[in-house]
Amino acid sequence: MKILAQAAAGAAAEGLAAAALQLGAELITVEPGKNGSESPLYGGLRSHPDLVFVPAGPLADLQELRTATRARGAALAVACATPEEALRAAAAGADEWTLPSTTPAELAARLESAMERSRRSSLPQAAAEVAEHLQYEELLYDRFTGFPTLPLMLERAREMLERSGRLTLLYIEFVRYSKLEEIYGWQKLDEVLQSTAAAVRDFYDQQRDAQESLLMVSHAGDDDFIFFTDLPEPVDQAERRINELAEALQTYIRERLEQDHGADIASLFDIYIGSTTIFRNPKIRTERMIYRGIREAAQAARSVEHRERSRKVADLKETLRQGAVYVEYHPIVITATKEIYGYEALARGSHRAMRSPQILFGVAEEANLIWELSRLCRQRAVEGMETHLQAHQLLFINIDPHDFRDPAFRSMKAEDLGIEHPERIVLEITERTAITDYPAFQVYLKEFRDQGFRFAVDDAGSGYAGLGSIANLQPDFIKLDISLISDIDTNFMKQNLVETMVSFANEHDIKVIAEGVEREDEYETVKGLGVHLTQGFLFHKPARAGQGPR
Amino acid sequence: MAERETILVVDDNFDNVEILRMFLEAQGFTVVEAQDGQTALAKLDETRPDLVLLDVMMPGMDGWQVCRTIKNHPTLADTRVVMVTAKGAFEDKFEGMRSGADDYVVKPVDLKELKTKVERNLAARGKKG
Repeated sequence: MKILAQAAAGAAAEGLAAAALQLGAELITVEPGKNGSESPLYGGLRSHPDLVFVPAGPLADLQELRTATRARGAALAVACATPEEALRAAAAGADEWTLPSTTPAELAARLESAMERSRRSSLPQAAAEVAEHLQYEELLYDRFTGFPTLPLMLERAREMLERSGRLTLLYIEFVRYSKLEEIYGWQKLDEVLQSTAAAVRDFYDQQRDAQESLLMVSHAGDDDFIFFTDLPEPVDQAERRINELAEALQTYIRERLEQDHGADIASLFDIYIGSTTIFRNPKIRTERMIYRGIREAAQAARSVEHRERSRKVADLKETLRQGAVYVEYHPIVITATKEIYGYEALARGSHRAMRSPQILFGVAEEANLIWELSRLCRQRAVEGMETHLQAHQLLFINIDPHDFRDPAFRSMKAEDLGIEHPERIVLEITERTAITDYPAFQVYLKEFRDQGFRFAVDDAGSGYAGLGSIANLQPDFIKLDISLISDIDTNFMKQNLVETMVSFANEHDIKVIAEGVEREDEYETVKGLGVHLTQGFLFHKPARAGQGPR
Repeated sequence: MAERETILVVDDNFDNVEILRMFLEAQGFTVVEAQDGQTALAKLDETRPDLVLLDVMMPGMDGWQVCRTIKNHPTLADTRVVMVTAKGAFEDKFEGMRSGADDYVVKPVDLKELKTKVERNLAARGKKG
């Protein structure tokens, strides 16, 4: 047993040495990396440690280390100084974490259990397959579609591979707009996934009638599906047939989504299909070949996605050139009276390919056009105020964290936006993005606040900022993350948290907004907890200027 | 008479488990015990309790991990989970929320409070959505 640790000082080092001794493990200690150079930990990983033990660092570093350790089949444990750090370690997917109060005996037990967990989740003699095994473990369960589960699928795929000597996999990847749930509600997302699953199943049935060779379909983890097919064509013609099949499937699903849910919702989904063919090889275990095939097909789907994205950059440039962005307004109501207090502006691209904000902003970020896009969206949002908002209603605008580096945004004045009353504009900043430089950030915020703009912390409760950090930002509003609101009527933990946040907000003269309220029971619960404002599908859907409730 | 509801009590401290067992049995519940996370998961699968009282600080798999496992499990996810936590810190509650816990009680456990919370969680079952 081998433990690779980053050097610590004093009691922590002694504790670790004692724990290693108790476990009978070899302890290898490396120095922390210097700025700009690769951490010696990564070099140490090549010696195949069973566990890597490091002090908590930034989330991104931990995540990177998690990927590296997982690829080598090593467990990851993190020494945390505070509960916040432990949350970060958990978020990064560490197998275990410790706090300063952890005794050497407890540390030994925890490290051992971390290794045990990591071992259990790895395939024998194949550390490189650990990651994919974890990913495909999800295939074991299918709550949604009733499609065959992995063991069944494997068995049949193996039979097929052995019978015909080859097996083609089509991996169907769904990419969805992440705010879909927030705006349309999780029921809507469930409905969309249900009809997608039904479309895949119908397509499968039709194809199977036409040709015996399409063998089966399975629901792969998240929202992805896999087809296994044994094409009768000669190898040189098979590729064309696979492409036809993929194209037909994509069209079929898209048509079904549009028919069931309308073009707007269908546009929030992208479908990418990747394929690969594996050939029987008696020297390699069949399951491993199939796993590898799934992985290759998934990668192929992602590279299709990538190609599509380059095409989208061109679309985005066209969108910016034409100013082809419009805004939907999503009402925020006063919880007690249900009167409309303000609207959140949600940007959409006018061109079909650019409709989804996720695509719009995702593409803009990749193409380094985010400032231009943000400026256009702000302008559009404000333009619609006249026709859509009453004089006392506020406009909530999402600010991308990148915007704070845009000189045009930093020096933005109310008159640049063509408005007389900056106090009607609420700039929403998401808590999801870690704000690393608080003092600098507060300076920016103050400049805006001095001009009269107001602030909201968006998605509060989703990140790890904690109440202290929220208090430091002195926002006018706190928008609770949807994860805090969904099912709050039956979850007392969430009720307690929201209650705490409301009383915190009351002390600091902040208004709390519950986002994603979808059911009457959820509404009654947030109302009972004293949440000031409510936004959600239960009351209103987002609508274009002049079309929705006012 | 309605069927007796089953509660799984998970705590690495034997004395704590016994106190909770005596109290809950006196309230008319069937009590199943486990002293660590692994055993808890095995017992869950075996006995399908209505509610789990889950200690946070345990060696090996801790309470949050057990809770996450339950809540991500396709057939166990509806089991009500009440965390027993030594700390009442706000951040701990966030951890609880992220793990999918339904409720919590703070140690040392106030039995009257425990009774209220057990009852409200059993009553909330199946109301969702």
